[in-house]
Amino acid sequence: MGNMNNYKIENPDSQMKYNRRDFIKKMAIGGSTVILFGCRSLAQPSGGKAKNPLTYSMILADYSKCTGCRTCETVCSAYNHKQMVNGEVLPGLGNPHYSNIKIYSYNPDVDIPVACAMCPDNPCIEACPVASDPKTGRKALYRDEKTLVIKNDLNRCTGCGNCVEACRDQRAGVIIPNPETNKPERMCTLCNGDPQCVKYCPYGALSFVTVSPGREFQGVPADMIAKELTKRWYSIQN
Amino acid sequence: MAHKKPGYHGVLLDINLTTGKSSPKKISSQDIDMFIGGRGLGMKILWDRLKKPGIDPLSPENPLMFMPGPFSGFPIPSSSRTCVVTKSPCTSPLHSSYPFASTVSYSNVGGFFGPEIRFAGYDGIVITGRASAPAYIVIDNDRVEIREAKKFWGMGTDEFDKKFIEELGDRRFRTCYIGPAGENQVSYACIIHTAARAAGRGTGCIMGSKNLKAIAVRGSMIPDVADHKQFLAALEKANQAFKGISGTLLTKIWRRSGTAVTIERSSKKGSMAVKNYREGTFSEIDKIGADAARKFWIRDFACFCCPLSCKKSGVIKNGAYAGLIHDGPEYETGTMFGANLMVSDLEGLMKAIFNGDDYGLDIISTGNVIGFLMEAYEKGIIDKEFLDGIELKWGNIDAILKMIDKIAKREGVGDLASKGVKALSKRIGKDSEKFAIHVKGLELAAWNVHVEPPKGICYATSNRGACHQSGNTVEAQNFRAMIDSIGICRFTTDWGHWYLPGLGSDNFSRILTAITGIEWTKEELMKSGERIFNLEKMINYREGFRRVDDNLPDRFFEEPLSVGSEKGAVLHREKFSEMLDEYYKIRGWDPETTKPGKSRLERLGLSFTLQDHQI
Repeated sequence: MGNMNNYKIENPDSQMKYNRRDFIKKMAIGGSTVILFGCRSLAQPSGGKAKNPLTYSMILADYSKCTGCRTCETVCSAYNHKQMVNGEVLPGLGNPHYSNIKIYSYNPDVDIPVACAMCPDNPCIEACPVASDPKTGRKALYRDEKTLVIKNDLNRCTGCGNCVEACRDQRAGVIIPNPETNKPERMCTLCNGDPQCVKYCPYGALSFVTVSPGREFQGVPADMIAKELTKRWYSIQN
Repeated sequence: MAHKKPGYHGVLLDINLTTGKSSPKKISSQDIDMFIGGRGLGMKILWDRLKKPGIDPLSPENPLMFMPGPFSGFPIPSSSRTCVVTKSPCTSPLHSSYPFASTVSYSNVGGFFGPEIRFAGYDGIVITGRASAPAYIVIDNDRVEIREAKKFWGMGTDEFDKKFIEELGDRRFRTCYIGPAGENQVSYACIIHTAARAAGRGTGCIMGSKNLKAIAVRGSMIPDVADHKQFLAALEKANQAFKGISGTLLTKIWRRSGTAVTIERSSKKGSMAVKNYREGTFSEIDKIGADAARKFWIRDFACFCCPLSCKKSGVIKNGAYAGLIHDGPEYETGTMFGANLMVSDLEGLMKAIFNGDDYGLDIISTGNVIGFLMEAYEKGIIDKEFLDGIELKWGNIDAILKMIDKIAKREGVGDLASKGVKALSKRIGKDSEKFAIHVKGLELAAWNVHVEPPKGICYATSNRGACHQSGNTVEAQNFRAMIDSIGICRFTTDWGHWYLPGLGSDNFSRILTAITGIEWTKEELMKSGERIFNLEKMINYREGFRRVDDNLPDRFFEEPLSVGSEKGAVLHREKFSEMLDEYYKIRGWDPETTKPGKSRLERLGLSFTLQDHQI
């Protein structure tokens, strides 16, 4: 069993190590017995723990507030896929197809916004076969030193698709290959520090906060989160 | 390729289920300018395709259309609506030389289907023909496939919703489908979307007649707009409508209770359908209203880009139906299966709503039909044997559930009941037509009319039969025809009143101008609404609908309310007739025949309808 996916969970409730493949297996076998890391809240504001090297800022969803309206998809797409109109660069028309954040809706009603989890152990970058640049230390896929978002160097990327597979097999499957170039897309950009999805969500379901890794549902595929939340919300056994 | 109009793909997806062939068809530029999209463009296509009156609605020739509008797919608040347009399987005129004469039918549904049709590269889907075996359609941008649906035939909508998306393998497909009621061609079957939203009033019956279980759509395109910068500015302005004091108040009310907020309010006002419309107030209304339902509501959910999230889903926590998960009650479902049937058992009511939705029945018509049967049974006009042994008494939820089963499966009494209240009363006779609550054959909805004569005008003159959404005045009818055509939800609008919160005509004209590049004024928008309403009327007129069909059931004129704050309220025939005269005068229609006047039709650009020798 590879230890590539293991990292320490910075949560006082749980000091266990976890491996997501194990986790998926457990969920599949006996969903009802699995306790999801024992975390109680979704966001773990860093407070005074700024020195924690694994603490970073990202988009966090409060699933209980999301109504599935997909406004986030349209504003993400508009901001990150700008259009040149009469020589002027303007926000796009918000085609959800190009959005980095995606809403997955279920029956019974559960709506799961899925954006890049910026996983501290970045299996996508691990999977990138392009040699590290001796100067910058970056592979084609790399973590931006300032914002910690995952970026792709289009010039060096070979379009091998390893990162796509890694994200799909080990995490939530956010990274999608471009249909023409096969190069990775849909990594969250944090919109230059002003995430549009957070700004425009009509329901306040998204926040841009400092988090610690090992939060509940981090990097977990939407299907599995939905399954767990359906059980919690719609079950009458409690 | 011809020049595309900004804001549109300029293309309809034309699918013939008999031949199994599909092809994109260009939409005439003039039709777009005159009929906008949605309900309006659908009606123009209906006119073009039907060509003559009297076509059997259940025949392969009757087109079934899914029509988004020019707002659909753009991030405009609640630009979520799709209008399903077809020829009605529910209605018929008093006199006509055509055995299959019926009105137009349109039904507006929210969710995500309309926007996705536009993402797939179409301004609408037109389905004709009949598949030789149960089928479903998958539309993935320009790839269209018709697949076998045998294994899904007979499946309830709740289970189908889950299984179908698994079969498609991508949750980003948007689907709509029928349940057993549609398959069995119950005349008032629905088309269901997301297991919670419905295009009602008989559209599901047409889908069933085509052997079509479901449609799935997925796409990646969006049309260009004429003025990008102006569009973004208009959008920004539209979003402001939901901010500030009045805007926040509007969103708060909708988010808190959805349409269920009016359940208790309407009963208090005497405007609710209670005991088959005999009364307007229900003494036990507090047991089935929003505040009672709140105890099991868990989540709010919204349609595409909507800030209102009026839908509520939850789980029944105890009693015989513990564990039942569903959304509602909403005003219509809660009233038609609740107050109208004297049901005060909220858990039982939710079970009935779930079953109705799962079968894919229009709960408005189903509740109306069951209310009629209950009254006929109480009066001794029909006996228990007629009801296949069901003890169909007011408030008896078990009996109601049994009737719902019978109707959806068209078993025994359910076969006759599946044809609607007009057909039922015709069969039963004995003056039962006095309490058969329909107009033109379509059942009235959950708003009663004793205390609100303009609502009577709305029901009587609506082009699809007794529709509560048509509008109480000529102006409201025109406004709503326009709203249904641009693809936006009425709940986000100011209902045509500038002093109410929500999006107004100034927003619509600004946005539509930016999208199309054509200077749309408020007046032009309203004129389009009038044009669309008149085209519908011309189709109905050609089928043989006249003034005698614009009538209300006797109950509202002969039996005053006997309980509630509005006790004694009743409509007066003469006054109502005068209101109708006034209505036709404003419309420019002949008060005797209701035929739209030549000059009015010419002014609206509808002269072509007069060239039809069949009128």
